[in-house]
Amino acid sequence: MLGLLFGLQDWVHVHSWNKHTVITFKLLMGAWGVQYLLLGAICWLLWWRLGKYVQNASLLTMATVVLPISLAVGVLEEMIWVMLFPQLPLGPHMTYWQRVAFELDAELADSVVLFWTIFFLLRGIGYYQLYREKEYVALQLQTQIANAQLRALRMQLNPHFLFNTMNSISSLMQTDIAAADKMLEQLSSLLRITLERGEVQLIPLSDEMEFIEMYLAMQDRRFTGRVRQEIFVEPDLHDALIPAMLLQPVIENAYTHGLCKLERDGRIVVDIRRQNESLAISVVNSGLGLHPVPTNGSQHRGVGLANVKDRLRLHYGRDQAFTIEEQEQGKVRVTLRLPLQFAENSTGKLTGYGV
Amino acid sequence: MIPTVLADDEVLARQKLRQLLRDEPEIDVVGEGMTAAETIDLVRVTKPQLLFLDIQMPGMDGFDLAAELCSSKTCPPPHIIFTTAHDQYALRAFEIHALDYLLKPFTRERLSSAVERARKEILLGNQQSGGNTTARNGSHFTNRIVFKSRGRIVFLPVSDIRWIGAEENYVRISTQNETHLLRETMARLEEKLNPEMFLRIHRSSIVNLQHVKEVRTETDGEYAVVLLNGEKLAMSRGYRSRITGWLTHN
Repeated sequence: MLGLLFGLQDWVHVHSWNKHTVITFKLLMGAWGVQYLLLGAICWLLWWRLGKYVQNASLLTMATVVLPISLAVGVLEEMIWVMLFPQLPLGPHMTYWQRVAFELDAELADSVVLFWTIFFLLRGIGYYQLYREKEYVALQLQTQIANAQLRALRMQLNPHFLFNTMNSISSLMQTDIAAADKMLEQLSSLLRITLERGEVQLIPLSDEMEFIEMYLAMQDRRFTGRVRQEIFVEPDLHDALIPAMLLQPVIENAYTHGLCKLERDGRIVVDIRRQNESLAISVVNSGLGLHPVPTNGSQHRGVGLANVKDRLRLHYGRDQAFTIEEQEQGKVRVTLRLPLQFAENSTGKLTGYGV
Repeated sequence: MIPTVLADDEVLARQKLRQLLRDEPEIDVVGEGMTAAETIDLVRVTKPQLLFLDIQMPGMDGFDLAAELCSSKTCPPPHIIFTTAHDQYALRAFEIHALDYLLKPFTRERLSSAVERARKEILLGNQQSGGNTTARNGSHFTNRIVFKSRGRIVFLPVSDIRWIGAEENYVRISTQNETHLLRETMARLEEKLNPEMFLRIHRSSIVNLQHVKEVRTETDGEYAVVLLNGEKLAMSRGYRSRITGWLTHN
């Protein structure tokens, strides 16, 4: 491109000087084009083979190595060019070396300046790339840290619940084999679902609720009908995304700090609905309120809920809310609000029809 | 009695099946196979009607084994109930007409329901003198649905469905004891179900006619379908004549 522009300039130049010269437009264009094509090719080669070197060259190496290279490249390029265009320059017949000398005299400074321009341009591009790379790595690191934190938080939830259930099964084995068997099956199903999810952080609400229903069924078995469970989910929210295992600790909390203190007529209500652009989840349980008579060893209270808070914050920043409040008659209500998001494409779940 | 063969490479798995099946009066365990080859021989000799089959066994897997049994024309292959710890083969099992798919560990109740299904199926097969089960209803309507629900694989015969309700992109299938949420549209489901058995009574519900007790006019002039178990479903006017017609005929 640059070569062609120079060619055009030269052509205008030559015509204004001498209307009778037989230098054709085409020849000049070709000559300039080839000149810069050559230069471009050399620079490209330089970058391709010595990219790193261009980047790291110190002032000293620039003076001792790059400068001679720039001169050599200039000379080499002119020599090749002169070989390709024997009819230029016009005027008295000259030998090859005379023509080379003529061209060097006219063009060497240009070539060297161009070479250095390109050299610094490449260096600039290199710096920019390096900068972009650094930025990208920093961003990745940030996400990785956040993910690790989320993973760690999720891991804290599972073992706690897992070993409690194992203990229940172990206890049931002594008294009620069928019940222990049932509970093992339920635990296996829960584990299967959890393992299948793997590292996925956000899952459709329908999946989370499936898990919660199973969890509630297990709790129901332990509490043998002492607690009435009610679930309401707005139908258009089944595909809304929520962090996996977000609700389980809330419900576990309702059982361990509220419902288990009741002899009978316990009630837990899970209610999920849309509130403008948010998903509002409320879990209300009957019990002894937020500040029951302190019992020994209840220091763990709130660890699960603190995790829920942390995960909401890590996922949504300020765009979320977590509240816990006491209502009349010892009822406790936990409310979560998070931004409403839907899965881009829903996971193709196994469903088949046949005979 | 239903002659039955158990195939599993793990001795404790076979022991569990054997012990639980002892309490099923219809089941007569005639042999146990530890490997695929052993099981094939056993089936050829004992000609069982029912086979409990693990999927991962030494030699060949449960599907290859089932194919091998089907290819031998000398005797009708047994009905198969898969028992496995893996849920990813469920669709394949469903497609080769397995009767059921038990995920380990399973409970006695779950096994009993599978045995009950086998009993019905074998009874039906006997009545039709071993006719091909696939051609049974001779139509393109579905007889059963496979899906995953609450960590279990369900091979649900459509006759077990009471009614189906729409929930946006999902449908909720209600059976006698529980409900299942499926990602499916009402239109697609209606298309799959035999209209002589299932009727759309509302934009958002399909009912199994076998479970309908009556159609009632509510005090506000709206119609409702009452199921045998007392559940009440709203009905659109447009559908009324179809269901009353069906009720008077039956």
